[in-house]
Amino acid sequence: MHRLIQATLVGAVSLALFGAPAVAQQKKSLALVTNVSADFWTVARAGVMKAQGEHPDFAMQVIVTGQATAAEQRRELDDLLASGVAGISISAIDPKNSTEEFNKVASHAALFTTDSDAPNSNRLVYIGTDNKAAGLQAAGEIRKALPNGGKLMAFVGTMDADNARERVEGIREGLKGSNVTIVDIRTDGGDFAKAKANVQDALAKGGLDLLVGLYNYNTPQIYSAVKDAGMSGKIKVVGFDEDAQTLRGVADGTIQSTIVQQPFQFGYQSMTDLVKYINGDKSFIPANHLIIIPTRVIQKDNVHEFQQSMRRMLAAK
Amino acid sequence: MARKDWGLLLLLLVVGGVTAILNPRFLSAVNLLDMANLIGLFGIFSIGVGMVIITGGIDLSVGSIFALLGVVFIDLLVNRGVPWPLAILAVVAGGVVLGGLQGLLVTKAKLQPFVVTLCGLLIYRGAARYYTTDATMGFGYSDDFDWLGWLASGRSWGIPHPFILLIIVAVVMGVLLHRSVFGRYLFAIGRNEEAARFSGIRTDAVVIGAYVISGGLAGVATICLVFYTNSVSPSSFGNFYELYAIAAAVLGGCSLRGGEGSVIGIVLGTALLQVLQNLVNILGIPSSLNFAVMGTVILLGVLADQPIVRRAIPSFRTLRPGRGTAKPVPGSVAPDRS
Amino acid sequence: MAADTLLSLAGISKSYAGVRALVDVSLGVEAGTVLGLIGENGAGKSTLMKILGGVVQPDAGSIVIDGVPHGAMTVASAARAGIAFVHQELTVLDNLDVAANIFLGREAVAGGPLRLVRNRAMHDLARPLLQRLGADFGPETSVSKLLIAQRQLVEIARALSVDARVIIMDEPTSSLTLQETERLLQVIADLRASGVAVIYISHRLHEVKACADRVVCLRDGRVAGGLKRDEIEHNAMIRLMIGRDLRSLYTPPLASPGGEICVVDRVVTSAFPDRHLSFTLRRGEILGMAGLVGSGRTSLARALFGVDPILSGEVRLAGQAVTMRSPRQAIEQGIYLVPEDRKGEGLVLDMKLSENISLASMQRHARLNLIDRASETATAREQQASLRIKTPGVAVHAATLSGGNQQKVVLAKWLSMAPRLIIFDEPTRGIDVGAKGEIYTLMRALADDGVGVIMISSDMEEVIGVSDRVAVMHEGRISGVLDRPDFSELNVLRLAIGQPAEHLETVS
Repeated sequence: MHRLIQATLVGAVSLALFGAPAVAQQKKSLALVTNVSADFWTVARAGVMKAQGEHPDFAMQVIVTGQATAAEQRRELDDLLASGVAGISISAIDPKNSTEEFNKVASHAALFTTDSDAPNSNRLVYIGTDNKAAGLQAAGEIRKALPNGGKLMAFVGTMDADNARERVEGIREGLKGSNVTIVDIRTDGGDFAKAKANVQDALAKGGLDLLVGLYNYNTPQIYSAVKDAGMSGKIKVVGFDEDAQTLRGVADGTIQSTIVQQPFQFGYQSMTDLVKYINGDKSFIPANHLIIIPTRVIQKDNVHEFQQSMRRMLAAK
Repeated sequence: MARKDWGLLLLLLVVGGVTAILNPRFLSAVNLLDMANLIGLFGIFSIGVGMVIITGGIDLSVGSIFALLGVVFIDLLVNRGVPWPLAILAVVAGGVVLGGLQGLLVTKAKLQPFVVTLCGLLIYRGAARYYTTDATMGFGYSDDFDWLGWLASGRSWGIPHPFILLIIVAVVMGVLLHRSVFGRYLFAIGRNEEAARFSGIRTDAVVIGAYVISGGLAGVATICLVFYTNSVSPSSFGNFYELYAIAAAVLGGCSLRGGEGSVIGIVLGTALLQVLQNLVNILGIPSSLNFAVMGTVILLGVLADQPIVRRAIPSFRTLRPGRGTAKPVPGSVAPDRS
Repeated sequence: MAADTLLSLAGISKSYAGVRALVDVSLGVEAGTVLGLIGENGAGKSTLMKILGGVVQPDAGSIVIDGVPHGAMTVASAARAGIAFVHQELTVLDNLDVAANIFLGREAVAGGPLRLVRNRAMHDLARPLLQRLGADFGPETSVSKLLIAQRQLVEIARALSVDARVIIMDEPTSSLTLQETERLLQVIADLRASGVAVIYISHRLHEVKACADRVVCLRDGRVAGGLKRDEIEHNAMIRLMIGRDLRSLYTPPLASPGGEICVVDRVVTSAFPDRHLSFTLRRGEILGMAGLVGSGRTSLARALFGVDPILSGEVRLAGQAVTMRSPRQAIEQGIYLVPEDRKGEGLVLDMKLSENISLASMQRHARLNLIDRASETATAREQQASLRIKTPGVAVHAATLSGGNQQKVVLAKWLSMAPRLIIFDEPTRGIDVGAKGEIYTLMRALADDGVGVIMISSDMEEVIGVSDRVAVMHEGRISGVLDRPDFSELNVLRLAIGQPAEHLETVS
């Protein structure tokens, strides 16, 4: 009797507290789990929202991993499983050490990876950029910017994540045979101010011809530091991603080019393919389990048009 | 300047000197001014946290205050079209209010400062992330704030504005702490709150004042930090900065037991921390060693201060009875009147 | 030394950095006797005790215990030899219970690798010790709940628990009430009867007189002389301590007491919400406040000073009703407190003398809230001179001064302002005889200047020797007020335990 009352109480309380998810439980729920908080994922969210509009019978959400740690991501996954999620698309922070956790998730729900892959896990498919290809693309831009060779330094949040490693790998491979050398890669642990200070210190130290921003916030911090130092045009910049400041830098010529991914497609395709999979359609999965969404090079001639489309997308949130 | 401050200055000069020998570019104007800028950014709020530490408290919340006030600030300017003077006022007032609330909880509800500000750290960070649904806030595609950005993070005569602001804040706070009645009360409370109360000091009001200063300076620092990075990621903006502030204050001679510290010490402590971060980059030490270098130097700095103290205390204790014997207390004669 | 001498010191000398703390000190104590050790602060008593405890090593001389000479003692060998200490400063830990304190470091433990503490066994061992001391609390009581006096008993119980053969008591009664002191003296008598030797160090000469079989007096690091049982007299001891006679403590007021300065009318304090108390303080008199610890004297002082609330009733100062909701408000009205806990509430030890003196009157030394250090220092120098504070300067930290001089700094803080009523709570605790006299002179001068002076004290000599009238408290109310002709230890004691005094009418 006592237990019954307890159970009823617990039930009532949880219903009151989690009333909304309880209703959504009738719909199948899908989640996009990010690796960090960034505008990049705001754009992806726009893609998720588009998919949501097309599939109102699913409940879609974006979960932002604010601390950018594998531990936080693991907790988010456990919480999602506990709430009975049907499908997850995740950007893996620490893929090497998350295999077990991801396999656990994959045994209960449809698991995709996006943006950052975990190839050793039982994820069904990876939707995203081939970061190595993006690195190769960047290397091409670097060669164009430094036809006679030179020295570059790269800036990144952490080198833990595979997307960072693969981009660097692509750049190194693409620069083989050229006179361009990578002097150093500086990390900032996600602290924007530290990211900018790293660039300033590099400029003060001198001897560089080109700076590479590997993460989406690194490039704007490079832009800001280079401008503050009055070195626009004196030092080349090649970046990744499409932060507003990055695009501004491309427009005013401080940044030669930036390699952009298509996060809108990550979000949109993650959700629509999850829907397909849950509805029993597996035909979209290629043999290698990789759906590559190509990266684009944004430079002075196409930056205006790209800025417009970004503005539209971000305004829609 | 106290002996401790000179010691810290010496440490700063030694570290700077060694770095300069290894790479002379450390002393280039560009590098020094870049560092001055960062010292300004970090020094402003470190002084505020130092005030709280002097009362015997601690403020763990400033890093999260930056995130919360930072996203609010950008939102007010970019999305809500609030005139900039009002937006700045709102942010500083926000810091003052948050600091005041923490002060009230510490004094009136008698909660421990560590607990109150730890909860602040969690709450403000969460509020900031919720406020923006975890999105990074930036000035985006608008150019309207370039000159405000210049005001908050630009340079005049080559001197970064945050550094100028730090000098102003340091002078004002230095006078407040070392010359004013309020400052005297802060030290008295930090050393013996009961005795201060028994001397008629409104101890609660003074302690709240310290938290208000910390919050207010955090508000001021928010504006400079926002224009330094131009965008605010609510989950990472200002992460760990409270620890930089505490480290700077401790290096600068503040005791976590309260009642000790100086503004000049805190500024020098901040400078040392920034020099350490800079030398990691200038000397090409792997970024991953950044924190390890910082921790080691703080530890050495604090240790260097220790043996003197440790040696002084026992000798003082054992000497006292001896002294008393050799020179009997002159007050031990009988009273003259009877 | 006699054959039955349990412990003897011969020719002990000790210097610190060339300063001679002890010179050729010899003394002995026989089993079953009490040796009274007297001397002013700084006379060398503490150094002697540290040598006995093995904390410091003598430069010369020997210690003989049971006929076995020890060139130098260590802390461990002192304990092994059966020497135990009851310290002046409380060394109990208030986060543990009584039994845990008594057996600290010697806990009863169960076998096995975890060495679990057997609390019940320790309680059982501690209980008879506490009973022997007449303690009104059990071994399982948390020390944090005990009064200072009770904590002292725990210390004594700790010494008893090691079956010590020589117990050294350093000012053991400085925090005890009259009743507890009586009980302690009884305990000492019991210990003596059971063959334990006691070295009893105290400034309270009547206690020494009451318990000692022999008295040795130290002065300037030397043995100034000794007294046999039948020679132990107050004046003889004082003569030995200071080298001449101390004149009577009492100084009559300049003029006979005038009108009422302060009237406490049916005041109820939070410590005794169902009791009210009334008394008047007349111009020019020193009103002593006697009573047992916990009788409400300190609560009254705290209420008058605005620390604790006054629940009902009225306090009139020079005919006008005053309210004190905080110390700040009390200070604004000229009501000052010289607190019992000098180091905790009276002084900021790590601040300069001048800063301590100006702390309560900061605004007078400030312009536009900026401190005028010249004015601050000038005031401090003035006070230093007029109170004869012995210090190398007003810039030294209060912590470096002796107890008497620290108390003068607390006084200087108030005297630099405009006092109307000063409450002294145990003003001379831990202060040596000479400095005591100076404090009394100051109190008298204040009273003569028309300042109301209330002196709370547990020191019977002080209460009877200094006051013009004595109000005795018992369980939260004034049980009687004595005029000088009726002063006697007996009368104070009777009122303190709630009985009427002799030869006078009690005040309701």
